[in-house]
Amino acid sequence: MEDYSVRHRGRSSQTFIYLGKLFRMFLFQNDWKVLPMAAVIAGLVAFSVGANLYKTMEGTLMGTFALSCICIWNGFFNSIQVICRERAIVKREHRSGLHISSYIAAHMIYQAFLCLLQVIITIGVCMLMNVRLPAGSLITPWPIVDFGLSLFLITYCADMLALLVSAFSKTTTTAMTIMPFLLIVQLLFSGAFFNLPSEAMPFTNLTATKWGLTALCAQGDYNSLPMVSVWNSALKMKDVEVEGEKPLLTVFQEIEKNNMRDDLLMKTGELNQNHDYDFSPDIVLRCWAWLLAWTAVYVLLTVLLLENIDKDNR
Amino acid sequence: MLELSNAISGDLDISFSNLFSFANYLLTAIGSWFLFKKCGVKGIWAIIPVAREYHMSLCADKEKEGRVYTIVSLLFYLLSVIAGVFVIINPVWALFMAIPLVGIYITLIIYMLKIYLGLIKVFDRKKKWLILFMFFEGITLFWWGVSSRFVPGKKVEQVSKNGAKELGENLSAAAEGLTINITDRTVIDFFKKKTLLKDIHLIIPRGHMVLLLGGSGAGKTTFLNAVTGYEKAKASIKLDNNDVYSDYDKMKYDIGFVPQQDLMRGNDTVEMTLTDAALMRLSADASVMERENRIANMLDQFGLTAVRNSLVEKLSGGQRKRLSIAMEFISDPSLFILDEPDSGLDGVVARSLFEKLREIADEGKIVVVITHTPDRVIDLFDDVIVLAKDATRTGRLAWYGPVDEAYEFFGKNSMEEILLSINQKDEGGEGRADEFVEKYADRIKEKVG
Repeated sequence: MEDYSVRHRGRSSQTFIYLGKLFRMFLFQNDWKVLPMAAVIAGLVAFSVGANLYKTMEGTLMGTFALSCICIWNGFFNSIQVICRERAIVKREHRSGLHISSYIAAHMIYQAFLCLLQVIITIGVCMLMNVRLPAGSLITPWPIVDFGLSLFLITYCADMLALLVSAFSKTTTTAMTIMPFLLIVQLLFSGAFFNLPSEAMPFTNLTATKWGLTALCAQGDYNSLPMVSVWNSALKMKDVEVEGEKPLLTVFQEIEKNNMRDDLLMKTGELNQNHDYDFSPDIVLRCWAWLLAWTAVYVLLTVLLLENIDKDNR
Repeated sequence: MLELSNAISGDLDISFSNLFSFANYLLTAIGSWFLFKKCGVKGIWAIIPVAREYHMSLCADKEKEGRVYTIVSLLFYLLSVIAGVFVIINPVWALFMAIPLVGIYITLIIYMLKIYLGLIKVFDRKKKWLILFMFFEGITLFWWGVSSRFVPGKKVEQVSKNGAKELGENLSAAAEGLTINITDRTVIDFFKKKTLLKDIHLIIPRGHMVLLLGGSGAGKTTFLNAVTGYEKAKASIKLDNNDVYSDYDKMKYDIGFVPQQDLMRGNDTVEMTLTDAALMRLSADASVMERENRIANMLDQFGLTAVRNSLVEKLSGGQRKRLSIAMEFISDPSLFILDEPDSGLDGVVARSLFEKLREIADEGKIVVVITHTPDRVIDLFDDVIVLAKDATRTGRLAWYGPVDEAYEFFGKNSMEEILLSINQKDEGGEGRADEFVEKYADRIKEKVG
């Protein structure tokens, strides 16, 4: 007669067993490749939109949008295939005692590690390419830590969304088909870069890009920056003649002569402030809370979905 | 398909378009009615949209596509209703709802085309008929239905409602061994109740190595899943008087199940794979020394010591299979079940693997094995379980007992011949499953009184 009162490993022990497995995979399964990929993407973004980031309102909006996008991209690629590629193995292990919550917890820790490294690499590349980063801090005493935390939370939120897709998809092909669709939704519904009808605005709350972009703009004190688009547009019309005269050219010459251009740009910015991007810790904390809330929702759904793995067909 | 386009437009006015839709519906329904008669499907389904398309998929031998079409159609109607409500509340939201509706509508068209392609194949016609089905659905279906020139190559299979008679009595649990009393195992499959297994009663003593034999779809894996408690049936499964179902969480560690595929991470080493298996399956109170010894024993017993540091993906088929078995055997289970452990292995390697399993059984374990090439290793087995699909397509017990007696019972000389005798005629067998199921039930009744 067998003794069935034997105690087996609980959830926390199993989490560490799987964590060890995942870190071995980091080396053996080439998971490390996401790190150089993060550096290359950060370099491309810094090169193309980094020049005006945190210098002008338009450059900041475009730059923070691009930064949010690379975070989403990194997060998605980190985990989009991790569960679906070993789904049959997880099913076997679940049959012999694996707790799904432990398996997901191990992935959460491991992915947090990957996201953290990617954020460090992204910031490093930006600094290397002389991209201006936020100068003032709102939450911690160090502005760069605030900035890094925002990038981390966006990446991690996207990572957990991809983990959910990976748990939902039966094959890697399905997961990779869904991913671009989600990416488009994240970009379109960021709520700042593209003008959406007011009815569609509630949907922007669903995206990590919106909360990430808002936090990044607030941290860079968006509302204290000059706005240049009005000036640039008007400058293109300087040679327009009205009754044989060029009134705009005269005005521009007057402004330049009196060295008023910067004041005017600052004034334009002041008149176009967006109070969603105020330099306020409340706004940043609110954005972080949203990102964390979505992360929690994705994780919860992942666990619930994967608990039904036994129902997979052979 | 046209009624769907009306649903999306929400147009309820009596107009030429509606008259055309009604005429199309009528032609489709009448055509489908006659078409269903030709295929052996009840004609009444022809007048109910969605159900009609599902039954059309049965005629077309495309049931999977029919199922998807049905579910997507229901979703489409549900979203259409919601969009209809939004039209009143906020037209912009309704417009937003139109985005998924368009996507779903395209999916429906694609699936309907797949079904019609299947129908064209079953009726042995040219694929260009698909164009007529696309643009003149009603008339084409009507023509196919009423014309005697269109005859299907195969009819929808009708399953008998009465199967072989049952034993219907549970066996008393053995003090040592595995007692299986499965009343039935049913599932709800696409709104229909389906019985996968029925009336299986047997006792396997400890130390026995048992072959599980059965044709495709006879319920071998369902049986094993029911026995291990992984997918519970209406049953009583006892291992040495311990109820597997009520104590599943504790007993699952005493049941080793080796799946057909080698489900292991290819990019981990052999030793680490076994270490993780040991950590997961052995007692949490086991000392590091005990665990290390058990891992070393497994490496030694399954001939993996030389490759302990190799990545799993670098192993040969035989080594990988042995590792897969070692992962389960590490917890020293009393009941050891293997689903086609010899698939992909040559005769010599397979023989050596089964000899290893024989050794495990000789240690007092119960070993149950599914294999599709039983005759080359049949001398290693004590007993054989024969599962067969009866007339209702339900898995039934046609034999359980010693191998030699099985030959006598079926009047055959090999396991492959036995398998042929119980397989359905449309599968190339003799179709004698019901005969043997009843004969075996009578034999058991005689034995147990």
